[in-house]
Amino acid sequence: MTDLRDRNECSSPIEAAVLMDYWLAALSPSDEDAVEQHLMTCDRCGDRLRDVIALADGLRTLARSGSLQVVVGDQFLNRATRTGLRVREYAPPRGGSIQCTVAADDDLLVARLAVDLTTASRVDLSWCDQEGAERQRMADIPVRADGPDVICQQSITWAKASPTSTMIARLLAVDEKGDERVLGEYTFHHTRTIPGPPE
Amino acid sequence: MCIGLRDADLVSRIAEGDREAEAEMCRRMAPRIRLYGLRHLRSAPTADDLVQQVLLKVLEALRNARLREPDKLAQFVLGTCRMTVLDLRRSSQRQEELLAMYGGELAPVQPPMPGLDDRQLARCVQALKERERSVVVMTFYDDHTAAETARALETSEANVRVIRHRAVRQLRACMGAAK
Repeated sequence: MTDLRDRNECSSPIEAAVLMDYWLAALSPSDEDAVEQHLMTCDRCGDRLRDVIALADGLRTLARSGSLQVVVGDQFLNRATRTGLRVREYAPPRGGSIQCTVAADDDLLVARLAVDLTTASRVDLSWCDQEGAERQRMADIPVRADGPDVICQQSITWAKASPTSTMIARLLAVDEKGDERVLGEYTFHHTRTIPGPPE
Repeated sequence: MCIGLRDADLVSRIAEGDREAEAEMCRRMAPRIRLYGLRHLRSAPTADDLVQQVLLKVLEALRNARLREPDKLAQFVLGTCRMTVLDLRRSSQRQEELLAMYGGELAPVQPPMPGLDDRQLARCVQALKERERSVVVMTFYDDHTAAETARALETSEANVRVIRHRAVRQLRACMGAAK
């Protein structure tokens, strides 16, 4: 291993994804050793690792901000609760509706959609307005076939600023030909309780 | 001037009492030691402590010509990092006296951590495919392992790693990072 490497040269740069695995402690001991040997002689890859650490820190902050729309699992919610976050959860019955809102001190907002997924290979989550027109499609969401529900985190930032409105969530099974079958429909009547601009 | 010297030459000069060579060794190794510390200790202040402790031990060894293979300075520093982290985990109060004596001299300037445009990052994450976004959020929220994420999403660990690699590549590209 040469010791003349500087910030402008590296004959065998480590891929960012591998550096991220290193940062996440996800490498095997031998791979981790190889990465550390390299980093101890290569400032160029050290710079890249700093970029990766900054990205990881940014992603952690973003994940904890509750501002993303994303399908999550129970384990995620349990951890969020254990770390002191206020989780507001709504679980309308399949084919039913629910009144909902968010408070200023809520940290996460999730919809728990009860559904039978045993016959679906690909599942989409469609968000529609109160007339039923699709506004957004979350395609091929990750689901557990044996799970009793789909948990979707909605952006708390968006919800806190959102006017009083009605949204319909539809879980759709999509087959290889692209044909769709409704697995469940859920209506959310959102009431704004946080002061904001006129609606 | 010691800036262009090979590690092995620095080692020889330090054994001869060259203070400039010592400063260059510290300047060269400190950022690398700090990265090691950040990875294993997950704390910037503790990583800074690690830098001082490791440099102290390495300097002492080099001044006394105890490194028998001068071209293996990097490996020696890495080995010292590993031993010191183990020691740190055993006791957080070690070497405080030595640090009080020499600490000020062993704190070379560190490269700043890069800044990140939080809004752009949010846009980039929202642009990921659903599975990628779920894996990213569950991984980074609380340092979920691939196994934990795989269980939550009913997929394999290998698949979680593939999805995470793809997402990281896409995010770096979206954030404008050089490969």
